[in-house]
Amino acid sequence: MIPMALAISAIIFFASRLSPIDPLNSLISPDAAADATNLAILKERLGFNDPIFVQYFNWLIEIFRGNFGYSIQSGQPISEILALRMPATLELVLAALIISTTLSLLIGLVAGANRGGLTDKFSRVLAAIGISVPDFFIGLALLNIFAYRVSLLPTGQRISPGQVTFIDRLPHLILPVATLSIAMLAVLIRYTRNSVLDTINRDFVKTARSKGLPEWKVMWSHVFRNSLGPVMVLIAFRLPLLVGGAVLVEAVFQWPGIGKTIVEAVTVSDYPVIMVVSLLIAVAILFASFLVDIVKSILDPRVRLGATIE
Amino acid sequence: MTEKVPSTARLLVRNFAGNLTGMFGLLVIFLIITSAIFAEEISGYNPNLMDGMSTSLSPSTDHLMGTDQLGRDVFSRVLYGGRNSILIGITASFLGNLIGTVLGAIAGYLGGKIDTVLIRISELFMTFPQLVLVLIFVTIMGQGVNNVIIIFALTGWMTTLRLVRSEFLSLREEAFVEADRAFGFSKKRIIFRHLLPNTMSPIVVAFTINIAIYIIAEAGLSFLGLGVPVTTPTWGNLLSAAQAPVVVEQYWWLWVFPAVAIIAFVTGVNFVGDGLRDVLDPRQRTNAKNKTFAATLREKLFGSRKQTIE
Repeated sequence: MIPMALAISAIIFFASRLSPIDPLNSLISPDAAADATNLAILKERLGFNDPIFVQYFNWLIEIFRGNFGYSIQSGQPISEILALRMPATLELVLAALIISTTLSLLIGLVAGANRGGLTDKFSRVLAAIGISVPDFFIGLALLNIFAYRVSLLPTGQRISPGQVTFIDRLPHLILPVATLSIAMLAVLIRYTRNSVLDTINRDFVKTARSKGLPEWKVMWSHVFRNSLGPVMVLIAFRLPLLVGGAVLVEAVFQWPGIGKTIVEAVTVSDYPVIMVVSLLIAVAILFASFLVDIVKSILDPRVRLGATIE
Repeated sequence: MTEKVPSTARLLVRNFAGNLTGMFGLLVIFLIITSAIFAEEISGYNPNLMDGMSTSLSPSTDHLMGTDQLGRDVFSRVLYGGRNSILIGITASFLGNLIGTVLGAIAGYLGGKIDTVLIRISELFMTFPQLVLVLIFVTIMGQGVNNVIIIFALTGWMTTLRLVRSEFLSLREEAFVEADRAFGFSKKRIIFRHLLPNTMSPIVVAFTINIAIYIIAEAGLSFLGLGVPVTTPTWGNLLSAAQAPVVVEQYWWLWVFPAVAIIAFVTGVNFVGDGLRDVLDPRQRTNAKNKTFAATLREKLFGSRKQTIE
């Protein structure tokens, strides 16, 4: 995990130096840039003349010390930007993760257990939609219907002027969370359903049934539990969204989260911000895959270390 | 043995013709591509012609999909946008698959260090969510049709690499490869003339499915204003009109119709992809000829009760 993170940090750093745009140009006024000696002094002082490896290690050391650098665009420290934007993303993604996970586990289980039933059909339609409808279009449609046609909910942003409490903010959350949840639901339901179907045909389920266990107990403690593994893996790989934000959904709802920060930074080629955010995302993903291994070992007794027989 | 045995290619065509959802998908794709080619003849308007007298008109018999704020005909722009979006999807998918296939073939056949390195690199790329990776590349390379294609290809070759590699790993132990080696054929010849044709099926399926993925990705990227420049109409660019709240609120035809075009095309492509998988993958080859279209469609959407595991 750590060598991988270092490799990624190196790639992010060197890739940023590959770009045709000189980061120095956006740091100083055109007048100052016209003066060659000024430019040279600045270059020296900012360390652009050091060998590139030295620059890389300096950057990495600063990151470890918690100094993420400054945004070229606004001059703000990046840590400050993150502190400002992170809560919005956490709020949005966490809510969507909880809702989509709960719903998809429930629907997926019912769909898988009653194959060909109404829930199963519904889940299939939902999956078909999930594959071919862009998620931001779902957001636009919800926005048009619930915020404009029926003025039930706010049209975007996280807070309306004059509102402070969480209850005030709650209506703002509904549409973005719904959009993100629907987008995530489609794949998750299908995955859960297939995982349940896969488990239902296993020998140990037949054994459990022939023992005379009631059906709900077979379902709950044998089928459901054993089909959770692959689903958990999928969910764990959604966790990095908590750090990276949902780029498109945040754009549709003007949600001031990390996803919007990325888009703003890319629009104006704000390197330091892009570098730090993508590094954070990468680390989050590596951490998630580490988490997957742990969760797997908890759910699957065969992987569990030092397991005792219950 | 005097009976004439049809060639594999002809068999495949015949099988695909019997796959009704696949054929339905093909029909949808064909219709959309043809109307995109004859965009001007069909819509009767020049997509870039601004008409100050008829701005922001809702759909009518004159303008089937209405007009935008500059008085341009939306139907004609959707058709024109289709040209670019489809072109981007197909080219990017082709290039990405080409990279993945060549690298996968090398990794799978040669194995050893090269294999390890290639797999590591693909893992590195797969660490990032695709959109974030694309955005990082956009910062480095800038926008534009060609850049979008190259960026998509550079960020989308990893699954094909893994696919081709695993096929090669199992194929290279086969008797006919052993015979090739005994004949003293060069590695290049064995890889490209003998092994590759045998891995074509999954590659073709991946190529098809990727077209759908890239078209949705282009829509997202251009919606953010970071993909193709607005001067070139694409489905994503048309959708980006919905970045303005007033468009979401009042001019629904500006974003609903491009989205419908995307959804229709992507669904068609996915149907074809599924059909190709059924036909090309011998393990799943079933006799679909005797089913009615409705039955096949129902099965695609809701699943058949007879299958045990998907």
